Amino acid sequence: MKSKRFLGITLTSKIAGLLAVLLLSTSAFAQAKPENSAASEAKKTSAKVLSDKEMLELLKELDHRQHSAGDYEAQVYIDQREKDKSALLYEATIYRRDLANKMIILFEKPRSEAGKGYLRIDKNLFMYDPNVGKWERRTERERIGGTGSQRSDFDEWELAEKFVPSFVGVEKLGNFEVYHLKLTARDRTDVAYPILEIWLDTKTQNVLKQQEFALSGRLMRTTYYPKWSRIQSEEKKDWVYFPKEIRIFDEVEKGNRTTVIFRNVDLKALPENIFTKAWLESKSR
Amino acid sequence: MPLRTLFTIALRNLLKAGRRTLLLMIAIASVTMLLVMMMALTEGIRTSVIHSATVLVSGHINVAGFYKATPSDMDPIVLEAPAIKKIVEENVPNLTSVVDRTQGIARIISATDTIQTLLMGVDISEETAFREVVRLAPESAYKEGGSDELKGDISQLGEPNTALIFASQARSLGVGVGDPLTVRAQTLDGVANTADVTVIAVAEDVGLLSTFALFLPKETLRTLYQFNATTTGMVMGYLKDPDDASNALGKARSALQQAGYDVMDHSDRPFFAKFQQVRGEDWTGQKLDLTTWQDQISFLNLILTAINTVSFFLIVVLGVIIGVGMINTMLMSVRERTGEIGTLRAMGMQRAHILLLFMLEAMILGFVAAGLGGLLGAGAAMGLDAAQIHIPVEAVQAILLSDTLHMSVAAHQAILAVLAITAFSAFAALWPSLKAARMQPVDAIRHSD
Repeated sequence: MKSKRFLGITLTSKIAGLLAVLLLSTSAFAQAKPENSAASEAKKTSAKVLSDKEMLELLKELDHRQHSAGDYEAQVYIDQREKDKSALLYEATIYRRDLANKMIILFEKPRSEAGKGYLRIDKNLFMYDPNVGKWERRTERERIGGTGSQRSDFDEWELAEKFVPSFVGVEKLGNFEVYHLKLTARDRTDVAYPILEIWLDTKTQNVLKQQEFALSGRLMRTTYYPKWSRIQSEEKKDWVYFPKEIRIFDEVEKGNRTTVIFRNVDLKALPENIFTKAWLESKSR
Repeated sequence: MPLRTLFTIALRNLLKAGRRTLLLMIAIASVTMLLVMMMALTEGIRTSVIHSATVLVSGHINVAGFYKATPSDMDPIVLEAPAIKKIVEENVPNLTSVVDRTQGIARIISATDTIQTLLMGVDISEETAFREVVRLAPESAYKEGGSDELKGDISQLGEPNTALIFASQARSLGVGVGDPLTVRAQTLDGVANTADVTVIAVAEDVGLLSTFALFLPKETLRTLYQFNATTTGMVMGYLKDPDDASNALGKARSALQQAGYDVMDHSDRPFFAKFQQVRGEDWTGQKLDLTTWQDQISFLNLILTAINTVSFFLIVVLGVIIGVGMINTMLMSVRERTGEIGTLRAMGMQRAHILLLFMLEAMILGFVAAGLGGLLGAGAAMGLDAAQIHIPVEAVQAILLSDTLHMSVAAHQAILAVLAITAFSAFAALWPSLKAARMQPVDAIRHSD
């Protein structure tokens, strides 16, 4: 996809954006079935209340689905819309080595952002800005590239390890019957937000919606996952799931929204030296 | 010849040349008046800038600090604030008050816009000077079609979840008194947090400082950043004489070091300019950073230097005008009185007395005119200051940290101006006086014939 920089948002696009938000809970979720999942063909059943053990198993399953035993590479396009500002489109590549707890986000477009990157090693997130040639340590709350997205949107999930679930109920989300869970952080310093609420399709177990709350209890972000996909991993001997699209709505700065699209997900082995500061610096030389 | 006689002759000569003396007096008095007014303006700007800055963003002496849980972390906080406050109070002489403020960076979000700004958490009941600088702005200053009514109440800043913002911030955010704002920040351990606050007052802009500081109750910031009861951002001490800050800082430093606190070496940079340096340093724990108001507002030095440079240039121009006028007038006087000089010399008056006579004339003229000009200038400056003239240009307001014109007449500066003009008048008369003193009596009498 070619990188574009929108110079302005027309009235038509504003209306279209608004309609997209309103219709998201219905029409967007109609596409939320995993494209290749047999589970999507599951028969209609009435979901039951989940016990603590079942919720934990569910979270482990969600984490397992996204975990890649080998390496992981994906092309991402981040469309950032802010109220009264020109829309911005970024292009970046994600590199992951989940077993070693390492990840890189390398910005490629637009030109002004090319070479900018994030390197995660275990719990430490570093940001490199080639314009100043310096590394800075960042927190989980870092807005990646100044957009509404965060590191956790591009990385594997660790819900079972980092959160304690509690059951809210079985609800209807558009046409979908969903489990509504509330997740409270075990150690709030390890996560972007201390409280999460997630809505999972009772049939496919895909997360369809997620809301993140600040310490004060205020809703900060609502994220929709309208499309999920999966790819077979030889190392894992199982499927690796990934969202094809994420739509993030800023609930504090109303009108700001971010769409992240994942393309060209590849699980082939990456060069050994890739998850180093030197490698990331070399990409901007 | 006694000096008294020379003085009498000089005075009579001045009175005799009434019109010339009067015109020159008017010129010297006008220049002195301008000089005194200019000095009052410079001093007014200087005191206004310092007063505004020391109330809004700095004490006269400040104890801030950095806490590093790990070498790569850095939090700009002061632990054990009550103990530090007590040490400063007990060991620094001539303090008028010691306050502490919580502070942090946050995003302020309204229904229409967002700004990123420095937050200062204040206890309005102990900030006595705050109201001298922060005054309510009329609604028309931040709302299109607003009235001239002063809405809001600064004292409500004592209530939790309130905010005082400046008119320029209110315009950016599109809010007025009573409107809600969301403050979005991260706690010390990096957790996203928010506070919903209500605008209880919109203050008049105080120049540049209005664009990067916003005031909330201390406790609201404490909750937002999850500070414990003894953690703060900065302990600020106010002195009777701000110029004594360096001495007071030395005493505070010694006392804190004796009490076992680790104090960073003094650097004349503001506290916030040291963040990057400290972040890269390899140590853990708490270190205190002590600064004076001069360090904290050193970023304003450029403004003060520019003002001083312009003043110096104007003073030089005014001096040249006076000098040229005085030389010209005295040369005319010497020429007109050549015969008189010849007669005085023939009667036995010494060259030195002739020189002194002309110099005295210039000095008397200069002193009387400069004195009158100085008084007029001081009066005019005080009148303009009392009139609280509004500065209509925002760029000028930003530089002067004020939206009104401040002029401050310092007595010692006015006296210095009068003495300088008098001395300069005498100096300008030196060449014509020497010319008169060097005349031969015979040539002078012949020349007058």
